[in-house]
Amino acid sequence: MITELLFNGFAILAVLGAVGLVLFRHPMNGAMSLVVTMVSLAGLYALLSAKLIFALQLIVYAGAIMSLILFIIMFLNLQEKDLPEESGRWYYLLGGVVVIAPIALFLVKIVKTLPGSEATIVGGGFGGIKEVGLVLFQDWLLPFEIVSILLLIALVGAVVLAGKRRLGK
Amino acid sequence: MIQDYLVLSIVLFCLGMLGVITRRNVFTVFMSVELMLNAANLAFIAFSRLHQTMDGHVLAMLVMAVAAAEAALALAVVILLHKHKSRLDTNVFSLLKG
Repeated sequence: MITELLFNGFAILAVLGAVGLVLFRHPMNGAMSLVVTMVSLAGLYALLSAKLIFALQLIVYAGAIMSLILFIIMFLNLQEKDLPEESGRWYYLLGGVVVIAPIALFLVKIVKTLPGSEATIVGGGFGGIKEVGLVLFQDWLLPFEIVSILLLIALVGAVVLAGKRRLGK
Repeated sequence: MIQDYLVLSIVLFCLGMLGVITRRNVFTVFMSVELMLNAANLAFIAFSRLHQTMDGHVLAMLVMAVAAAEAALALAVVILLHKHKSRLDTNVFSLLKG
């Protein structure tokens, strides 16, 4: 009962944030509405009893990544004249909806054929740090290492791209 | 129950795709990509709850790590583009057209 109420609230907030991201003209407003979406997605993860992912979503996504994006937006100090014109934005949006709506309806039709619509009760340890860590370091060790190398390469690449060029010039 | 989460994930993914293909602001396009990654994460967690295994949670963690790496690199590229052209319009960055 209260689960459905919470789900409906979080889902409506998430969709409203996403719509705001697509519709707002200034990227700062879009980033703020994306934060709303991220936080309500964290609530949905908590409803799905994914405790670790709930915390990670709040700390990493809504905290770190979004503050990085907001920092860069404020760093560039965007004025109204810096933004693209986008005069035919509504026509583009209409065309995009026409293109994407069949795909979305097709996917929804697929999802409706899935079994397991009834709610089941999971054990107390579901989604905790220990359980996720056991699976992560036993079955997913190689992808974990590859992702760590990817993060290292991304760090080096970001420093090389955005750093000062003293030697080049 | 799971189907509602999956339908929400589809809606969020399609909104992100709409933002990618219709907007011309670099930041909005980038944040729409982040929104699509989040929608995929929600589908992973929902399927993980359906099958009562932890693999979906691990995949969601890996997606978050990839999103962090993508954010760092993409924002560096945006700073470079803004330095070169002082515009944020994706139509300006069309050097590969020849």
